[in-house]
Amino acid sequence: MKKIKLIVLLITLYSFTALAQQMPNVKLTDLEGNVLNTSTFNSKGAKVTLLAFWATWCIPCINELSVINDNLADWKKNNQFNFFAVSQDDSRTVNRVKPLVDGKNWDFTVLLDKNQDLKRELNLMNVPYTILVKEGKIIYRHSGFVLGDEEELLKVIKANQ
Amino acid sequence: MHLKKIFFIICFITVVVKSNAQLSGGFESNSSWYIDDKKIKLEQIEAEDRLRTNAYLRLDYRLGRFTAGVQAEAYQSKALLNYSPNFKGINIGTYYVSYKNDSIGLEVTAGHFYEQFGSGLVFRSWEDRQLGIANSIAGAKVKYAPIKALQFTALYGKQRNGLGFKFTDGNIIGLNGELDLSTILKAKKINYNIGGSYVNRYEKSDNNNLSASVYLTSVRGKLQRKGFTVDVEYAFKSKDALVEFGNVRPDLQFDGDAYLLNIGYSKKGLGINASVRRLENFGFYSQRNLAGNVYSEGVANYIPALTKQYDYSLTNIYVYQSQPGLRFEPGRNKAGEIGGQAELIYQFKKETPLGGKYGTNVSVNYAQWHGLKGLYDANDRKYKANKFTFGQKYYHELGVEIRKKWSKKLSSAITYLNQYYNARYVAETIGEVNANTVVIENTLRVGKRNSLRWEVQHQWANGEFKNWAASALEFNAGERWSFFAVDLYNYGNEDASGKIHFYNMGAAFKMNSVRVQAAYGRQRGGLVCIGGICRFVPQSGGLNLGLNIVF
Repeated sequence: MKKIKLIVLLITLYSFTALAQQMPNVKLTDLEGNVLNTSTFNSKGAKVTLLAFWATWCIPCINELSVINDNLADWKKNNQFNFFAVSQDDSRTVNRVKPLVDGKNWDFTVLLDKNQDLKRELNLMNVPYTILVKEGKIIYRHSGFVLGDEEELLKVIKANQ
Repeated sequence: MHLKKIFFIICFITVVVKSNAQLSGGFESNSSWYIDDKKIKLEQIEAEDRLRTNAYLRLDYRLGRFTAGVQAEAYQSKALLNYSPNFKGINIGTYYVSYKNDSIGLEVTAGHFYEQFGSGLVFRSWEDRQLGIANSIAGAKVKYAPIKALQFTALYGKQRNGLGFKFTDGNIIGLNGELDLSTILKAKKINYNIGGSYVNRYEKSDNNNLSASVYLTSVRGKLQRKGFTVDVEYAFKSKDALVEFGNVRPDLQFDGDAYLLNIGYSKKGLGINASVRRLENFGFYSQRNLAGNVYSEGVANYIPALTKQYDYSLTNIYVYQSQPGLRFEPGRNKAGEIGGQAELIYQFKKETPLGGKYGTNVSVNYAQWHGLKGLYDANDRKYKANKFTFGQKYYHELGVEIRKKWSKKLSSAITYLNQYYNARYVAETIGEVNANTVVIENTLRVGKRNSLRWEVQHQWANGEFKNWAASALEFNAGERWSFFAVDLYNYGNEDASGKIHFYNMGAAFKMNSVRVQAAYGRQRGGLVCIGGICRFVPQSGGLNLGLNIVF
């Protein structure tokens, strides 16, 4: 019986793997205090959304966001997509987010995930971590950042227009 | 009968697949095979279990507005070095069912949940696998927002401690309210909100002197206009018994409080942020006698060290830990901390003498922390702390960081850090240390998809470990492979057996949502700190393997 149960369990698990992971519904605030619900990425026909998870204390994250910031205007000329940087800073460092974003002259919306609710629901590993959401489905995941990874991001965005 | 069950399960699967339900999850495992060498050996008590793994499997199942999930954990043959012994064997760590309906502003969770009130001063439950913190609350939580600008949270439960169905002794009740005044008053250019919390720990005791309830309250406000931000919070904790090395002293009870102020200003190219905080006897644990325990078990609030968090190995040797606790000891009395930090971030614009072609980023950070000045009587366990005067100095840091992109291929960063660390008070060991650290980091792009990163670090210190030198090399080959080699050498250590090369080398492979990392080498002993919460790990050597899959 145990074996059968195990097989059934495996089949159950397998029957789901065909489904891409759905974007969970979590409320995040931006730096001006506006609330954004992640379910807004889920509507049919919505533009694809690129989310970069980062933190002020994570140097590769800052490198990634700097590179994205340098390229964002260019990328948006030829592609339709939204971009958000989701900060994982908790109350130790969350007050650093706005001065850092402004100090670096970054020109995109930053969302705060102060108790890592979204990170947990997405089963993300450590930052930096980047995902692409299309009509509520997570169609691309990328952990870590090294120079050159931005080329791949652009490739995936292009492929999902 | 078995057939019946299987039939039922198959029906169930069909139903959920058809109803567009969805399963997602993640698996993470970290294994170490500890190998002794000439210089680094495991302690006898640990040496019986040389191959150890911490593994976590999380599954979440979504069906419409409902989500259910479970996290199974395994610690085999034992948890990695210096995790709490309560993490042992294989069992369920957390499980939950939740219902979320945004149209009526309601969210209900039964089972394990994580939550934070305000900045976490009076309540936070969270998970950090590297630190061994897993203090979710098992019970019920309701979040309700009757209008968008107003949100209430109520929760009740017991705090997880270890695996399975083990909890700390106290019952936690929490209430929180957040009100966005600017939305209600239709203020457009200004943004202000207020919040308040109440948290109660209920823990019965045989001792009549001990009140079963200890409560914490907090009021806070935030104001934001254009580039300016001001945050204030005041929190109070009712009388709680003094705990000395796990012994509860019902005859000695103290209340505590906390003040927090944060001011920020920023505009394009410039950011300034300053925080000041005063804590007096403000540790909070979900079980009385866990106060101050080394594994951070039962921690129910979040008091991070307000210093800058650095990412380099030598800048993380003398890490300040916040000092909320009360401790009586002749020559080392402590009742809390007072101090602050400030940071300035500035960007020299492109095409200026200091900015060059790509601009130059500079950040300067300063933090200083002291004990509370006052009258302490260690023998009678009495004290009276002044409100806003600085006592014994615990720590300072001055950090300067310059980041510069030279060309499309090459970028550099130089970091300088000056620290004073009063180990006698902060780590409750001996001595004081003044340390200066310099880190130079370069990243070179090789071709379109490869990059090379190297680091050189040096630390001059007049105490504890004395001087260190370190270097790291990392090569990223395409999008899938990374290779690294690191060496930290404590060449200045006065003890010959402490002159150790902590070398480590390894590779990481990632593809889609799978990441595998293997490394061989030595691990420096000391504090592993994340967010200012630290865990002590002894030095060790051996082989490490990490696996991470998300589905």
